[in-house]
Amino acid sequence: MAVCVAVIGKDNSPKYIKCVDETNALQFHYKVHTSIDIVEEKLNIGTKTVADNKELFLGMLYSTEEYKIFGYATNTKIKFIIVLQSSNATLRDNEVRMMFRKLHIAYANVVSDPFYIPGDQIKSRAFDSAVSEIMS
Amino acid sequence: MRSALSVILSSPVPDNKMSHPDYEQTAHDHATILVLLKPVGTQIKPKTVDRLCERIIKCGSRFTVTDSTNNQREILARYVRDYPVENTEWGDFQTHRRLLGLITFGKYENQTELNELCRLHETFKVKYVQTLYDSRTILIGPNASEKLSEPPPGFTTPFNFKTTGFFYGDDLCPDLEAQILEFLKGLFYVLDYKRLDRTREKFDKVALLKAPFEEKDFIGLDLESRNNRKRCVGRAIKHLGDLSLQAGLYSDAFNNYTSAVVTLQGVNDWLWLGAAYEGQCAVSAIMLYPNLFRSPPLQRNSSLQESSPGKQRRDSQASTLPISPTIDTVRTAKFQVLAPEDISKRYRDAIVHYSKYQNAGIIENEASFKASRISIEQNCPLQAAAFLNNMFNSIPMPEKEKIDRFTTLAELYTALGFTRKASFCLRHAALHYVSQKNQNPDWQQCYNLLLQTTSGFKLSLDPAEMSPSNRRGWPSIQIQLLNELETAANRMGNPALATRHLTFLLQTMYNYLSVNQRRDAALQLQAVSQQCEGAPVPLVLDSGIVIPPANLTNIPRTKSFVLKNLQPHLQPQKIERVKEDHGPFLFTPINFGSLDRKTISKSKVDYLWVDGDICEVTMQLVNPLPFELHVSNMRLLTNGVVFESIPESISIPAESGPIAVTLAGTPREAGELEILGFSTHCLGVKSDCQLKHVDSMIHQLYTVEVVPQLPKINVETSLPRTASFSSADNIVTSASISLYGGESAECTITITNVGQVPVEMVDISVQSTLDSLTKSKVFRWNEEDLQTQLPLQPQTSASITLYMHAAMDFVVPTSRHGSTGVYPSQPNSLLSHSGPSSLPSRLSSPSHHTKRQSEITSSFRSATNSSTGSSSGAGSSSRLSKLAAPLHASNVVEGQLRIKYSGAAGFGAGYCRVSSVFIAIEMLPSVQITGWDVLPAELPTQFYLVLDVTNMTNHEMELNYATNKRIYMEGRESCRIPIPVDRCPLNKQTLVNGSGNVDDLQKVCAEHIASLTDLNWQLLGTESKGQANLTGLTLTQNMLDLVRMSPLQWEITINEKVFKSQDELKCTLGDCVSVGVGVSNALENPLKNLTLSVNLYQDHHNGVHNYRLDSRVSIAGANKVMLPTLQESGRAYYECRVVFLTIGQYKFDIQCTSREPSLNPSVTFTELSSNAGHTWRYTPPIEIKVVDDC
Repeated sequence: MAVCVAVIGKDNSPKYIKCVDETNALQFHYKVHTSIDIVEEKLNIGTKTVADNKELFLGMLYSTEEYKIFGYATNTKIKFIIVLQSSNATLRDNEVRMMFRKLHIAYANVVSDPFYIPGDQIKSRAFDSAVSEIMS
Repeated sequence: MRSALSVILSSPVPDNKMSHPDYEQTAHDHATILVLLKPVGTQIKPKTVDRLCERIIKCGSRFTVTDSTNNQREILARYVRDYPVENTEWGDFQTHRRLLGLITFGKYENQTELNELCRLHETFKVKYVQTLYDSRTILIGPNASEKLSEPPPGFTTPFNFKTTGFFYGDDLCPDLEAQILEFLKGLFYVLDYKRLDRTREKFDKVALLKAPFEEKDFIGLDLESRNNRKRCVGRAIKHLGDLSLQAGLYSDAFNNYTSAVVTLQGVNDWLWLGAAYEGQCAVSAIMLYPNLFRSPPLQRNSSLQESSPGKQRRDSQASTLPISPTIDTVRTAKFQVLAPEDISKRYRDAIVHYSKYQNAGIIENEASFKASRISIEQNCPLQAAAFLNNMFNSIPMPEKEKIDRFTTLAELYTALGFTRKASFCLRHAALHYVSQKNQNPDWQQCYNLLLQTTSGFKLSLDPAEMSPSNRRGWPSIQIQLLNELETAANRMGNPALATRHLTFLLQTMYNYLSVNQRRDAALQLQAVSQQCEGAPVPLVLDSGIVIPPANLTNIPRTKSFVLKNLQPHLQPQKIERVKEDHGPFLFTPINFGSLDRKTISKSKVDYLWVDGDICEVTMQLVNPLPFELHVSNMRLLTNGVVFESIPESISIPAESGPIAVTLAGTPREAGELEILGFSTHCLGVKSDCQLKHVDSMIHQLYTVEVVPQLPKINVETSLPRTASFSSADNIVTSASISLYGGESAECTITITNVGQVPVEMVDISVQSTLDSLTKSKVFRWNEEDLQTQLPLQPQTSASITLYMHAAMDFVVPTSRHGSTGVYPSQPNSLLSHSGPSSLPSRLSSPSHHTKRQSEITSSFRSATNSSTGSSSGAGSSSRLSKLAAPLHASNVVEGQLRIKYSGAAGFGAGYCRVSSVFIAIEMLPSVQITGWDVLPAELPTQFYLVLDVTNMTNHEMELNYATNKRIYMEGRESCRIPIPVDRCPLNKQTLVNGSGNVDDLQKVCAEHIASLTDLNWQLLGTESKGQANLTGLTLTQNMLDLVRMSPLQWEITINEKVFKSQDELKCTLGDCVSVGVGVSNALENPLKNLTLSVNLYQDHHNGVHNYRLDSRVSIAGANKVMLPTLQESGRAYYECRVVFLTIGQYKFDIQCTSREPSLNPSVTFTELSSNAGHTWRYTPPIEIKVVDDC
């Protein structure tokens, strides 16, 4: 399903990034990195219009011939980015939302770890497995 | 890096000559008249051309003309420096693409050149002949002509030159603006005429207008069909709209476009429908956003250099430019335009329609750009981004255009505030400069563009901003970018830059690099730095960009960095001064004299370094790389006072553990020294590793106080060193010696000045655990002797003699012989009574130089012991225990001779150094006094001190205990010796009597004894000799009576003759002996209630005194008188007579008793209380021998 999953911190630095194809990882790094621009813009609009915007799902950030990039931002400005293959037309918006929700729960579990310092790189086996579940 | 190019770059170059994209276009350009500004010939300087163009653009970009109906129209003009002819072919489709005017610039010196310029101008005219309305040429010649439009005298234009030329004498061109305006007005009139021409045309007859690629599409089509007619009409109306727009009739243009839309929609002419939509948008944009028109002069890429995000840009623009009219004001004031949100909608429609035609790709791209520009103006970045996103569906095109496209995209993204996308595009543009398909790769351009991308990737080339705490961005992307920068720098022939970037990579990205990447980067750095060594200085590029220095702080990695104090004996110490009086308060928070509160930084070390001394810093280095690392020229980086660092080189094996390195240096001034870090030379790069940039360093810098120069000394002693001495502070050497108790020795201590400055002050003291009194006994030296040898010049020596004395307690504390202490009165009184009969005789016997056998002594002792009331068994057991465990095992006295010295400037600043000599004196017991007693002596001014002395050594000892009296003792032998001692005179006692304490009195007496007696011993066979003293004797009250001089002075007269104690008295039976007793008080106060008595007794010499002599002696007169008071220095005299009835030896017991002051308890006189109940006897007793006279 997903080809790349990324967690981006408050300061827009990568906290976690995993791709199906690790040899091409850098390409995804670029894609995810540039999509932060749009996430930020969307978040800016969100704060301008509705303060209590409960919708964390940011929708599709952009699409290319190969990939569609979806974004999700938590209330604490942690961003999740999922890159899907454009060819995979069967995926509905709702399914993408579900993926994000799973990711969010997995992230919340990571943060609940008392030994995790917020802002650090995520190194958690549980999170890894959650991500691979999304990507499988 | 070429391989890193993405898929987009690898698409083949198409056979597409139809148009060159103009990414700079804006919606406003639809309303402009296009004019080409072209320099011709080689004579004219680019600078002149630039200046002229600037003037033209300034005056001619926006001008007003009066049309035929006397209406004012505002006309826009667009100037280009280059325009491909192919683009004019699209002039039918969108008229603003037609090149309407041409202005050339040229400079000539002679006729030939003028001819050439004219020829060139005509060539350009021919090139754009299809669309050109008019042209001008500006010719700058050697001299000005009278009439501007005619060549100056002596020059002629060729016959085929039909253009109006402006002939200027110099490049100031005074009335250029006016001429240009005239020219532009001409263009406008032609345009307006054409427009009017069009409006008058009947739409039915109008020919089909076609886009260039449409030619073949219409071949074979029925042009007369109704559909086609409509298409013709629609296109014609749209064309008219274009012209109206250019002619400044925005209202007409909008109406035309609107009707064209209606017409074209009907015939599904998508391409032209799109164009009509675009026209509508253009009109609306012009009306709504007049500010969007490019402000002359246009500077390309200007926005890329400034890194300010787009959000800021919007704000600043809003403040500086007049506010755009709202849609309502525009609508009400003039006419109908599209609402702002409709503009982008229409643009989207247009783009969709364009996208249906493969050959209209360029038009589509241009429309996207225009639309995004308007979206930016509308402050809808997402919308703009969506338009720009469209750009990535790449049309195959040459590299140059790709670069253009990407740079324009980057520019727009920057304007949006999408810095990451902008950087992404810029990086692509940069890579296209050097892509494989690029025939002539331009690494310089590539590098410059790459450098511009850094901000978007949050990569600062200043290592300080990339510290782990505040670094942002994506490491993997940054690493790639840095690698690309390095390659580009290397390829463009700037190895210094390449070295810098690699160094930077290793410094800031070290933690994000894999082990292999680290190794590769390090090896690459080593290779690159061979061409140009890296140094920590900023590099300035041609473009003026400064690349800050980078340092290899991670290679080798610093694990610890610790400043070392000087060696203890070299540490400067403050010379204590008498404290200045700061008033009655010990502490005050107010800092007198200085307002600045002392902020003690944590990094300040609490010790001092000394000017001129080698000071050290120890570091632990780790080599993280899998090959051996040579680090050379390591030095300390300091700030503040002058510091001479000693370079250090080290080779660290591959992947080693921590390796210790000591960096040393010498401060050359006094003051504050800051240690910032260290510099290395490693992998061909010189690095300044400042502590603040090194990970996991506790302090960012260290501050050390450097004190002025101090001398250095070396200390040697004449004694052997101790095997080991208690490790401590500033001990430089040691000395050890064994001394028997009471023995003395000398030790010469040599002080050599090994420093650079003279020693001006030396102060010697001894530190030990001993109390100060003992210390002063044990260690002595001559201070003056040393002071005379000062100042001590460098490389000279001084010596001082230290006298050591083994001061011991020779008197064994009485605990073991507690019996004498606890029950002192009994044995002493016994002895005092019985002693004289036996002891003096023995002692007076010639015992000198006789060796006593231990048996005798022991028997003697046991006798003594038995006399003290303890059993003989106890005595022997005590003796046995004594042999088994000597009371005083050898004890070691440790002392430190502290030599405090200073000199030169350091002395002035109040600092000194301390070198200590550790001295260990092993004190071996020599003689020991285990018991003592006092006996009355033959003289009343003396008494006998009887001592039990033990030789504690294993050697034979000669003990000299009194004048001419000595005794030889075997090792471990004990013996008893009597020492005649003068009694303690009264004046000594009176000193004490003030306090009235018996203990004090006893002390005084003990001291008196100690001062008078000295036991000089010498070990036979060895050189050792010493002196034992008797400090520590305890005396009982009864002993004291003997020891003390009696306060009563006796004056005995026998038969009217003054009796002397040595006199032998003899009398015959029946004689009457008259005994006179005179008592005088030697005290300074009166004595009261004295009873003076004279008794006679017979001494049986076995401890029994027989006082019952009633039948043998008769006494005439009272043998007892009361003396109520005896004044000070008063005298009492009493006399009686005695008649002896039998022969024999008699003794007089003359005593004076002071009665208990029971009747008068209020008497508080201390002397009374101390003397109360005392009995003073006349000693020795007077002995009288009664003989029968026959």
